Amino acid sequence: MKMTRTLAGLMLSATLVIVALFGPAYNASAAPASTKKDRVDALEKKLDQTLDVVRQLSERVQQLESQLARNQAGAPNAAPAPGQGSAPGAGQNNAPAVANAPAVGNAPAAANAPAVANAPSTGPAAPATQQQTGQRLDALEQQVNQMAASAARPSESAGMPLHGFADVGAGNHNAGYPQYKGFDIAELDFFLTPQLGPRTRALFELNFEVGEDGSVGVDLERAQIGYQFSEQANLWLGRFHTPFGFYNTAFHHGQEIATSLRRPRFLDFEDHGGVFPAHTVGAWLNGSERTGEGKWTYDLFVGNSQRISGGIVDMNNAGNTTGKPIFGGNVGYLPGGVLDGLKVGVSVFQARNIENQDVAPPTYTRVTNYGTYAVYDTDQWEGFAEFYVFENEDLSSGTGSHRSDAGFVQWGYRAGRYIPYIRYERAALQQSDPYFAAQLHGQSYYRDALGLRFDIDVKSALKVEFANTQFTDRHRVDFGEALLQYAIRF
Amino acid sequence: MAVQWVDNNFMARGYPVLLVLLILASLVPAGLRAAGAPAAAVFDALPQQWRDDKGESFDLQGLRGQPIITTMAYAECHRICPMTIQQLQLLQRRCDELGVAAQFVIVGYDPETDDAAAWHHYRRTHGLNRPNWHFLVGSPQSVKQFARALGFEFWKVDDHVMHDSRIVYLDGRGDVLVDPKPDFVNGPLRRGLTPPIP
Repeated sequence: MKMTRTLAGLMLSATLVIVALFGPAYNASAAPASTKKDRVDALEKKLDQTLDVVRQLSERVQQLESQLARNQAGAPNAAPAPGQGSAPGAGQNNAPAVANAPAVGNAPAAANAPAVANAPSTGPAAPATQQQTGQRLDALEQQVNQMAASAARPSESAGMPLHGFADVGAGNHNAGYPQYKGFDIAELDFFLTPQLGPRTRALFELNFEVGEDGSVGVDLERAQIGYQFSEQANLWLGRFHTPFGFYNTAFHHGQEIATSLRRPRFLDFEDHGGVFPAHTVGAWLNGSERTGEGKWTYDLFVGNSQRISGGIVDMNNAGNTTGKPIFGGNVGYLPGGVLDGLKVGVSVFQARNIENQDVAPPTYTRVTNYGTYAVYDTDQWEGFAEFYVFENEDLSSGTGSHRSDAGFVQWGYRAGRYIPYIRYERAALQQSDPYFAAQLHGQSYYRDALGLRFDIDVKSALKVEFANTQFTDRHRVDFGEALLQYAIRF
Repeated sequence: MAVQWVDNNFMARGYPVLLVLLILASLVPAGLRAAGAPAAAVFDALPQQWRDDKGESFDLQGLRGQPIITTMAYAECHRICPMTIQQLQLLQRRCDELGVAAQFVIVGYDPETDDAAAWHHYRRTHGLNRPNWHFLVGSPQSVKQFARALGFEFWKVDDHVMHDSRIVYLDGRGDVLVDPKPDFVNGPLRRGLTPPIP
């Protein structure tokens, strides 16, 4: 009789549990029974299935308890909650990690199952009241949730994020090397920012790019390691973008970030026709400070004075033979308020002794540059204006001092995914100045351009630019350009 | 009729368990049966302590019990974030039309650059002054934790923050609804099928 009552109670419980919890998943197997025996067989089958579920839940609770015990014991590489713990940008899934983490939460009816949890694998367990086991599971669930939340692991343990940019192009001229026509692979720019600690920073920019000879080369464009003392003071050591003006530090080698298809020619990177020392190897201190509605920014730097080699400005990655430095500074101000979006500033640098190694004996030039800039950047408008004056001194040939200037203005309108822009750039470079005369791309020119950027999606953009470029000294050339660029980030 | 038990000891403890299962099964709301983690687990996984655009402490727990529509942004973003904010404004307008109350939470990607003053200025210049809109500043760690918990991918390039456009609705059923369209306001949200976080 007792066994009969127990059996009936179990079958009734199992049936109701199955219908209440797992109806869609488990009800298909119940076949209509025409005989009493068939009905009992069907109920037995359901009961067995229910017991399987209970065993699975119990095993899962045991696994979670074990995992919690390991984590509390400080076990290394404690597995994060499924779907969580990957570094930002490293292809993490869209589902919130915690939604998948606590399996106990998926079966709330198992909240009081732990009395059975250890039964299959252990000897007789100490009897536990339902309340105690319920409290145990509640505590366990809470701890797992917290563990999953805190196992949004510190960045230091999440590995090094790898991101980058790439762009390819086409046109009647190569955007960087106008002697070429057709299609081109411009660059593949890897951006590495290992997370070293709350204040220690590092940035490495490894660029695979096509050189002027058409070959693919690798350049460690930036390699800087820094420390953030405060918002007012960040110190970097290594190779960085020389902090003059605005554009050179605001936009680097990834073209997807910039609105325009290319940098102004005179501001381009050294191996792409630029005449500025766009990179410096040295030390760089920068910071900002709020004053009311405005904000001041500053940069101070010192590094290896550059050289000219192969007609290109070289930043002397390993140091220079003269021991002479380049140093400079930049001060900017964002007034805020009614002028929100505006930034104005001035910069200055001096390279004490730029050695031209393409002649024997080498010649030396002291390059001094003064710059001023204004930027207007809002949700609707994007504008740049930069103007530079060179006051260079020939230290070798006795030609004295030389004054040159260069500048550009660019204006764009943000219309959703479309940003049309217009740009005018000009460089009037004295050819009697040995600094410019020594450079392959040191000729004077002006260029006007009309372009359009279209955001295909948040990570890729298509750009077209129509430009007219005229070289006004050395070889006077005037040519029109129709350029296309497909730029991505990842 | 005999029932073959695999383990008599197991079954001796199983009967009370099954009774409990029965009782609990009758209490489990339909919306939770097919759910992922309980809604509270998603909410509780988020960092709770922030500062608002006035520089005052802000406890996310204060929003418990209310529908939350959230995104991440940075003040100097002029391409993606404006479009995301426009989407939020569209959702807000639908909420207003239908009399649905929701909290809009915008967490800053770059707390080192976008402090409370920056966000205060941002919402003033963009006309985002409603009291149910919250612009939050956190520590770099809490920002990363928030982003990971809700699937926001981002990385910094100098002063730029690379990120996607993403809006998340914290669904009381434990599901996270990503990029809800305006008609979702008149749908699940309004009909209460997506109850707020308990």
